[in-house]
Amino acid sequence: MKISLFVTCLSDTLFPRVTESMVRLLARYGLQLEFPELQTCCGQPAYNSGYWDEARASAKTILDAFDDSDFVVSPSGSCTYMVHHYSSLFKDDPVYLQKAELLQKKTYEFSQFLVQVLGVTDVGATFKHKVTYHPSCHGSRLLGVKEEPMELLRSVKGLELVPLPFADDCCGFGGTFAVKMADISGAMVTEKVDHIVETEASVLAGLDMACLMNIAGNLRYRGEKVRVMHLAELLYEGLEEKEVKQA
Amino acid sequence: MSSDSHEAWLAELEAASRQKQETFMNGIASKLRRPRVTNRPDQPFRGAPDFWESFQWSSEERISMFTQNFQAAGGHVIHVADAVQAADFITNKAEEMKAARLLMQNQPSLLALDLQQRLSQAEISVWNDQPETDWRAKAAEADFGIVEADYAAAYTGSMTVMSSANKGRSVSLLPTVLIAIIPVDRLKTRLGEIMSDFDAAGREGLPAGIHFISGPSRSADIENDLTIGVHGPGIVYAVLVDSW
Amino acid sequence: MSTEGKMSVKNRARLALNNDFLRSAVRFTTERLRSGKIQASADHGSWDEWRERGRQIRLHTIANLDYYLTQFADNARANGVHVHFADTAEEAVQLSLNIAKQKSAQSVVKSKSMVSEELHLNKALESIGVEAVETDLGEYIIQLADETPSHIIIPAIHKNRYQIADLLSKEAGETLPPDTSILAGFVRNKLREKFLDAEIGMTGCNFAIAETGSMVLFENEGNARMVTTVPKTQITLMGMERIIPSWTDLEVMATLLPRSATGQKLTVYMSGITGPRRDEDGDGPDEMHIIILDNGRSLQLGDPEFQELLNCIRCGACLNACPVYRQIGGHAYGGTYSGPIGAVLTPALKKNVAEWDDIANASSLCGACYEACPVKIPLHDMLVSLRRRKVEAGRGNKLEGLGMKGFAAIMNNSKRYRAVIRLGKIGQKLVARSGEIRLKAGPLKGWNTYRVTPTLPKHSFRDKWPTLEQEIRGGLQNMPSGMEQRLQNIMKDRNKGGGS
Repeated sequence: MKISLFVTCLSDTLFPRVTESMVRLLARYGLQLEFPELQTCCGQPAYNSGYWDEARASAKTILDAFDDSDFVVSPSGSCTYMVHHYSSLFKDDPVYLQKAELLQKKTYEFSQFLVQVLGVTDVGATFKHKVTYHPSCHGSRLLGVKEEPMELLRSVKGLELVPLPFADDCCGFGGTFAVKMADISGAMVTEKVDHIVETEASVLAGLDMACLMNIAGNLRYRGEKVRVMHLAELLYEGLEEKEVKQA
Repeated sequence: MSSDSHEAWLAELEAASRQKQETFMNGIASKLRRPRVTNRPDQPFRGAPDFWESFQWSSEERISMFTQNFQAAGGHVIHVADAVQAADFITNKAEEMKAARLLMQNQPSLLALDLQQRLSQAEISVWNDQPETDWRAKAAEADFGIVEADYAAAYTGSMTVMSSANKGRSVSLLPTVLIAIIPVDRLKTRLGEIMSDFDAAGREGLPAGIHFISGPSRSADIENDLTIGVHGPGIVYAVLVDSW
Repeated sequence: MSTEGKMSVKNRARLALNNDFLRSAVRFTTERLRSGKIQASADHGSWDEWRERGRQIRLHTIANLDYYLTQFADNARANGVHVHFADTAEEAVQLSLNIAKQKSAQSVVKSKSMVSEELHLNKALESIGVEAVETDLGEYIIQLADETPSHIIIPAIHKNRYQIADLLSKEAGETLPPDTSILAGFVRNKLREKFLDAEIGMTGCNFAIAETGSMVLFENEGNARMVTTVPKTQITLMGMERIIPSWTDLEVMATLLPRSATGQKLTVYMSGITGPRRDEDGDGPDEMHIIILDNGRSLQLGDPEFQELLNCIRCGACLNACPVYRQIGGHAYGGTYSGPIGAVLTPALKKNVAEWDDIANASSLCGACYEACPVKIPLHDMLVSLRRRKVEAGRGNKLEGLGMKGFAAIMNNSKRYRAVIRLGKIGQKLVARSGEIRLKAGPLKGWNTYRVTPTLPKHSFRDKWPTLEQEIRGGLQNMPSGMEQRLQNIMKDRNKGGGS
């Protein structure tokens, strides 16, 4: 059985720690992930901006990379959902259309993979911090990953989960939107961070590094000390923390 | 403008409209890349979802839910046994609020309330019972408008008032206070139970005006601050009557 | 003061973002409406089944629009209504003015109609000397202010009570206090006179019932009832897509519309008008006209990416759910319709791509509009389609186009991608300070006005992978019992047609 890692360009280049945590965590369940180096970016920046030819050029690397995988797992709900757009992107290309339809069925976001595929809701971690959670729009709304991360967080020992006001509101990232409509995006992330600070949580957890980079960027800009973590990072650190104590 | 020339003007518009209609509809069909649909298409989904059609409350539940919903919208609900008690209520309310002018629909059961006798100080008018009166003005100056509802729906807390020669639309609209008699056997659970009667009646069976009323007139247009009685009646009493 | 077409979306948004009152008012109102909607749809239960039913009814009607529209017109005529068709806004305006002239009207009272806003009808009526009076409280206020609505449901969402008191005081000729009930009371009395004086009442149309030729209006104030009861002539403006087949279908729309718009179980008034007054009736209009308008709507017919736009029931739920609308309000959208539906509808109603501004870019594509929509219109996908069509028409931003070409050249080959990351690590040395970039210039200007940018770490994931893979292979644990079987089963299901 071939289980492949869909690293996403952002976690590959800027946040390798996130993917590493995910890989190490899954190894505890006997999963040796495979990493096809052909993959680059899912193509979303070009797709969302209306440049579908350019999106296709990039998306093909993903479709080719995971051709013979049985499962594909990624640390991003947004990039995972992008794969769902491939069938419209390649509707006039029978070869890639077939690949697209297959890939959509076998690709999972990280928490979705843990809970739905592996059946794991408690990884056995301990994490003694006050945590709030931001559900990224594409993962929660479009991919439908809502309960999985909550279940995983709720079973972490010592973790105090505090609700984030207006959690469902977009953080303002939106890819090129953050650059093209910088002021609107800035107002959105400012409001999101106001709510995060309001919770007095010491950690903000999420499932998409793009949104988390946006939020962390504003937190840092304002000099706020809240730590921003991908759920995979949090869970893996929680396991290590526990094991260090036990040893 | 003579009425003849007006008729001619309307006829001219009508002819132009019928001609335009053809190109308009042909345009739609061609955009949809198919010939004109001239036979009634099968409607795969009509009306509410199936599970909803079988949803039914008991009479007690209907009364309590109607009351709850109508009150939540800012209306008042009174539940009485019969017409005499309904008349008592209206009489007391009129005296308490010093209503000088009351206007009611021309309905035998409303006339039988004998309000003229009970409120001898007040001016009581009956809609459209004489041709020379300006009934709009009459309704606009009325303190109370009194109607008999044709239907009510508990789930949304609504009543339905249908127009006719004897039942002017203005009676439930222009007076300051609206009092609506709702015989409990006309109180349904769902809106759909009322709607299906309208479908069954068909075009020719419908009056010009069908009005669902679910409380006092309201607006939140100024800074979200709820204001009652903007254009329609600001005070509405629904009088549920067991035996009418 | 219409802002349409004079400024870029970005500049309109900047103006709005600097208006603190506007922003807090819009936030407050949209939050109230949004939580009302969420509450009302949850209370009702099976909300998704209702949405799906609403969507199916709308899909079917639009797919057979010529049939249902003809049926409606035939029945409305049989009821004594004069039905007219208009391809363009100009035609609809001409028809309206023609009727007003024929009736020698001095004054027209109007209830809220987005179609009328589309036509800019008030100005046209005024140009022939007919006074047009908006009678919805919010519309009346913005008419006095000479503005356009900034929300489908709450037109004066952007005005505070002091501004409103000033506007109404001018009208009253005396100083009115900024007290809501006093202000509303003044409007009630003032408009009562207008209702009684007007020769013509003009309305929009929420739904038109094909089988009986009835038109249906939802409202809370009672002004639409006034407009359809008091004047001698009624003119109804109706978008060609407002049709539903039957009254039982209206139950579905009546369930979806008020709950989605304001969180109400039903609006205070829902009126079904079937023709002018009957001969023996004591009130109601003597003459009734319905003008059915295309004005760009048929562009969406037969277009697989946009036909569902015609399913819209104009509830405003997408505005209330939208995090962008929440920040900038309605006027920044620059068209008659604002929020996500406006961002799609405004360009979609125009055939010529050259006339599209950048409004489709004013979205983070978060999908909140789709989630809120009572008939499940995929507005977030439509926004992407609009962007694509603009690019395909060669009207994309030139610099962005070059950037995207570069993106494709890098991303279609993993070796080139890797080389570029290496270059990036060298390049960032010029601007990075202790692991972050704060430079507010060049492409990072907008981003860094609100944030700091992280730097590329020394090693990318793919740099680390060979070592990591070795290490993991060494310490790999056994798969828990049953998990292997679980995975096999999922694969089997997938081959049978299931999957994620």
